[in-house]
Amino acid sequence: MSDASPPIAPSGADSALVTAADLAVGYSAAPVLTGVSFALHAGERIGVLGPNGGGKTTLFRALLNELRPLAGELRLAVRAGTVPQTERSRLDFPVSALDVALMGTIAGRPWWKRPGRAERAAAHAALRRVGLDALAERSFGELSGGQRQRVLVARALVQDARIVLLDEPFTGLDNVSAQRLEQLLDELAAEGRGVLIATHDVDQARAWDQVLCLNRRQVAFGPPASTLTLEVLAATYGGSIVTLPQDGGERLAILPPHHHDHDH
Amino acid sequence: MFEAFDYPFMQRALVELLVLSIAAGTLGTWIVLRGLAFYSHGVAAAAFPGLVLADGLGFSAALGAFGVALIFALTVGRLAARADGGHDALTALVLVAALAIGVVLASDVFESGANVETLLFGSLLAIGADDIRLAALVAALALLATFVLGQRWLTAGFDPGAARSLGVRSPAADLVLLVLIALAAVATLSAVGALLATALLVVPAATTRLLTRRLLPWQLATVALAAAEGTAGLWLSFETNAPPGATIAVIAGGGFALVALGRAGTATLTHLRARRLAATAQPGGAA
Repeated sequence: MSDASPPIAPSGADSALVTAADLAVGYSAAPVLTGVSFALHAGERIGVLGPNGGGKTTLFRALLNELRPLAGELRLAVRAGTVPQTERSRLDFPVSALDVALMGTIAGRPWWKRPGRAERAAAHAALRRVGLDALAERSFGELSGGQRQRVLVARALVQDARIVLLDEPFTGLDNVSAQRLEQLLDELAAEGRGVLIATHDVDQARAWDQVLCLNRRQVAFGPPASTLTLEVLAATYGGSIVTLPQDGGERLAILPPHHHDHDH
Repeated sequence: MFEAFDYPFMQRALVELLVLSIAAGTLGTWIVLRGLAFYSHGVAAAAFPGLVLADGLGFSAALGAFGVALIFALTVGRLAARADGGHDALTALVLVAALAIGVVLASDVFESGANVETLLFGSLLAIGADDIRLAALVAALALLATFVLGQRWLTAGFDPGAARSLGVRSPAADLVLLVLIALAAVATLSAVGALLATALLVVPAATTRLLTRRLLPWQLATVALAAAEGTAGLWLSFETNAPPGATIAVIAGGGFALVALGRAGTATLTHLRARRLAATAQPGGAA
């Protein structure tokens, strides 16, 4: 059981945690996402925007080394940790919050060793960090949606992942849970981790450092203030721009497209 | 009432069942958790032509069965264990082919037709010391592997997409699980046969799954239930002169049905009680 270490990018080739250059990824020969070029630096939060089927999850699978690039280049300085979407099958899995956090210790010890006292302490410390140590013995499926996301963040902390990927972490969360999670993401970035967050919420992404707009190809990448123009949003979400009357003036808005071409 | 267990052949059968319960109970939880129930049935059935070959050519039955089961594990099993799933049709195809080849070999090549029934449904009352030794070996390996690799099996099942990034990059851990299930299936053959192996390997774990929320209690409960159902089936088959393998399978199936019904009933009662409480909490329906 030789777990080969992941390819480490040569150090000094600027300090990016992730570098993608004209990257194309897909499941067979035909790529579902092309032309992706961006860099994630330590301490940055990048919002990944795009419609369903736009390539957000595909990009994450490439970042997790689940998919190989079909073209272009993708370099990760360190291994990424992930906070996946909650799938139904996971909810009745017989694991506690502590068990999930402990999964973050696997990479750090030889395969024949069980998690010991040090690993359990690290898992408890990470759960405390996300405010859930009191619920360490609770079943994962019994936690609320926000608590489950925070347990998975704790797992990434135990793993000491310097790149953290979050796939639609705010979906289905109430306001308080969402704020709490957002604050946690800010803390992760503040301590020098690179954070990639797939989201549907354009307004939320405005608060982050960069946005990456995907719609089967990279539409735009850059700071939200200058990047999130109506043209970019229209190209990202495939809608058309319309003019709406507002308070005596006019306002531009995007009309969402019909979902006749929705495929997965 | 229990003079049945005064007979040495009954005592050997009981020991075999209790030892098998440890192996089957431990692995059964992983089989259910990782969605490998159909694979387990397939690998047990695939062992059947191996048994026929061993019987006809005069080499060790366990060796013949394990040889074929191992091939099944390394081909069909590896596909079945993958997260994307969808290999049930292949499993079914190979399962049927294995049974057919076994029957043809037995009836037309080696003309050992009388043995076929024994091989398919087991011969619990003719258990030898070798059978018990094999069961004990598998039980020990199952416990050891669960102790060492359990967290990896759990992680790969909980989060297949993240398993690699969490450090479960090598497929070896899952391969060990597949081969162990094949070994366990071979060990249960002499007791309950190729067609009823799932009665010990899958059904008790599926039953206790309905009642437990954590891995260790689930595993302990599964071992206990497999042992209880095996013992009850053995005793009942002695008293009623029914074939023991089939009796155990019927008891295990009945146990699952009872627990599933009981759970559905409890859920309905809880729901009704909650509705009544909600109704009384709102007198007159004034909001």
